[in-house]
Amino acid sequence: MSKIGLIISREYLTRVKKKTFILMSFLGPLLIVGFVLLTSYLSQENKEKYEILVVDESHLFDSILRNSDKYHLQWAPNGKNYDEVQEIFKKDDQLDLLVYLPLNLIKTNSMTAKCLYKEIPSTGVQKHLSSIINEAIELYRVNFNNIDISTYKSIKTKINLDVVDIENKENRNIQRKAFVGIALAFFIYGFIFLYSVQVMRGVIEEKTNRIVEVIISSVSSFELMMAKIIGVGLVGITQFIIWAIVTMIMSITIFPLIIKDKYNPSLQMNSDELVNNSFKIDSNNEAIQFIINEVQWSYLIVFFILFFLGGYLLYSGLMAAIGAAVDEEADTQQFLLPLTIPMVFAILMASKVIDDPSSSLAFWLSEIPFTSPIIMIVRIAMGIGDSSVEMWEIILSLFLLTITFIGTSWLSGRIYRKGILSYGKKASYSDLFKWLKN
Amino acid sequence: MFSKKIIEIKGLHKSYSDHKALDNINLSIDESKIFGLLGPNGAGKTTLIRIINQILEPDQGEVKFAGENLSRKHIHSIGYLPEERGLYKKMKVGEQVLYLAQLKGLSKKDAKQKLSHWFEKLGAENWWNKKVEDLSKGMAQKIQFITTVLHEPKVLILDEPLSGLDPVNSLLIKNEILELKKKNTSIILSTHDMNSVEEICEEVAIIHNSKKILQGSINEIKKNYEENLWTILYSGNQMNFTNAVWGGWELKNHTNLNQNINKAEIKLLNDFTINKFIKGIVDHVEILEINKKIPSINDVFIKATTDE
Repeated sequence: MSKIGLIISREYLTRVKKKTFILMSFLGPLLIVGFVLLTSYLSQENKEKYEILVVDESHLFDSILRNSDKYHLQWAPNGKNYDEVQEIFKKDDQLDLLVYLPLNLIKTNSMTAKCLYKEIPSTGVQKHLSSIINEAIELYRVNFNNIDISTYKSIKTKINLDVVDIENKENRNIQRKAFVGIALAFFIYGFIFLYSVQVMRGVIEEKTNRIVEVIISSVSSFELMMAKIIGVGLVGITQFIIWAIVTMIMSITIFPLIIKDKYNPSLQMNSDELVNNSFKIDSNNEAIQFIINEVQWSYLIVFFILFFLGGYLLYSGLMAAIGAAVDEEADTQQFLLPLTIPMVFAILMASKVIDDPSSSLAFWLSEIPFTSPIIMIVRIAMGIGDSSVEMWEIILSLFLLTITFIGTSWLSGRIYRKGILSYGKKASYSDLFKWLKN
Repeated sequence: MFSKKIIEIKGLHKSYSDHKALDNINLSIDESKIFGLLGPNGAGKTTLIRIINQILEPDQGEVKFAGENLSRKHIHSIGYLPEERGLYKKMKVGEQVLYLAQLKGLSKKDAKQKLSHWFEKLGAENWWNKKVEDLSKGMAQKIQFITTVLHEPKVLILDEPLSGLDPVNSLLIKNEILELKKKNTSIILSTHDMNSVEEICEEVAIIHNSKKILQGSINEIKKNYEENLWTILYSGNQMNFTNAVWGGWELKNHTNLNQNINKAEIKLLNDFTINKFIKGIVDHVEILEINKKIPSINDVFIKATTDE
């Protein structure tokens, strides 16, 4: 085996043999799935039942406002005005919400209903209340205008807008695909940080152990640096592959068991939305189907790997240089900040890019190598073509990323070579520039 | 007879941004000898060693290895034990020595064979599966020594190889160095331990303020630094001793050891010989012992690096 191969294999094997690696390989997907389940559990309504006191000044709603077990409506006692009812509401611990329907609400569209709370209701509850009030008003007006209820139902319909690219009709509803891109962008972000920090730690370890001088008397310092970067990168790829496989196995075996009830479409059909005003909870399955069918997976996977590698090589080279410049990890903060900012900025900008994936902001962020691995993967997930990102933009971005990481590796190599043998002095930015020039 | 040169250095310069580390260094090192590379801290020794190891590149000048221009192919012919040395703490001793041996070009099989020999020799047989962090400093030093010599390099560069070792292990390593020399290994020893230099080196060079200020065999150098100092142990009166010979010498030191027994340290000036001096005093005092004071390498080092 060549010496570089030897170093790569040491870097790789010492890491994959570690108990923490093995543990994280299996725990990672569990944690991710657990986190997803936990957030979906926490975002569920934790209240079983809402007791809602309704002040209906027009007395027209009591027969048409839909009552249900979960949202149980009670009517305010006759003869009490709104202020008095508020006092009742305040005193009665059983009551959760007070809904006030003013006198002219049913006649004009300019009035607003009010909902008073003790503990703020979730947006889901608010939407429900607003939908049953709207529904009641509509039913009243249908009745008032002598329209047949079945005629009304046939008129009342739910239309989804299919947003299609005229040049390439495959490109439909691209914003909905961005979810995949965001997930992958987070992976890239996390993996780049996780593994480039490992490179930095490895360099610091070799430096503080004082073994580095022996190694670089056998191979050049640049070879050592690159071999370390490649070795750790392979650990990252291995971890990713294990995660993918474990997640796949879990999604086939355990996942359906856990979420069977929650995602069972037949149960969701029973949800209390009669007259729906938008596609909502029941679209879960539809969304999953859409993502599976519409996302260009082959392109996405290839570019995910390329952008992950490009980003990793770019950042880990710089991290190696930082590791060489310091004596202990605590001294790395001042150098890490400038590297963290572009990545965090890219993650923050991702939602703007989804809003308008062909904007110039999206273009530049996906071409600048320090943000491109994150932003480009979001755009690619939304589809390759006129609507989001064109192939030439991806190729240009990869080209710029490659050139930049070659450049930064060269610069890092110079800092690394000097830094690795300088002990005891806390390096400053001016030292780094000095090492670069020398 | 001229001995073959293993390393020849000509006109070597190396500067860092803020200072000059080596200034026109010319040095030649004989094959199969132990060469002491001496100098105060910061003189430039480590830079010179790193250049020979191709860790650093010189700004100017040339280095020849066995008559050829120094290049990457010579890496396997050099064994280097740096002053700042260590091992991967979490790695097992066996894995680590195999790794380092392979980096020096040995095959795994060869390395294993040679390692079992060395482990036995230095009493490290039971350490193979230990983690380095569980070894004592002395044990780790032995492992480092083994990894340095395992690939049987032609040139061995040892920077403070004995520091941190107890006297028993220090002797053990010293003997190994002498044995390697017998097997025709050329050894460059950089150290501040002048006793060791005196014990095992045949030739030394002193580097001071980035320049080579001295090179030669131990005996030659000592001779050059001799000051014609003598110590005389005698029985008799001090006045008789000092007045016996007029001119040509000076008394550097005088101690009364016991009643009539005295020890005098004298320096002979110009061409005045010890025979003339003895002739002068022999009728006045009884001479018990005469010794010529030969400077130690320590004396030479101090004189050479402070005389400016």
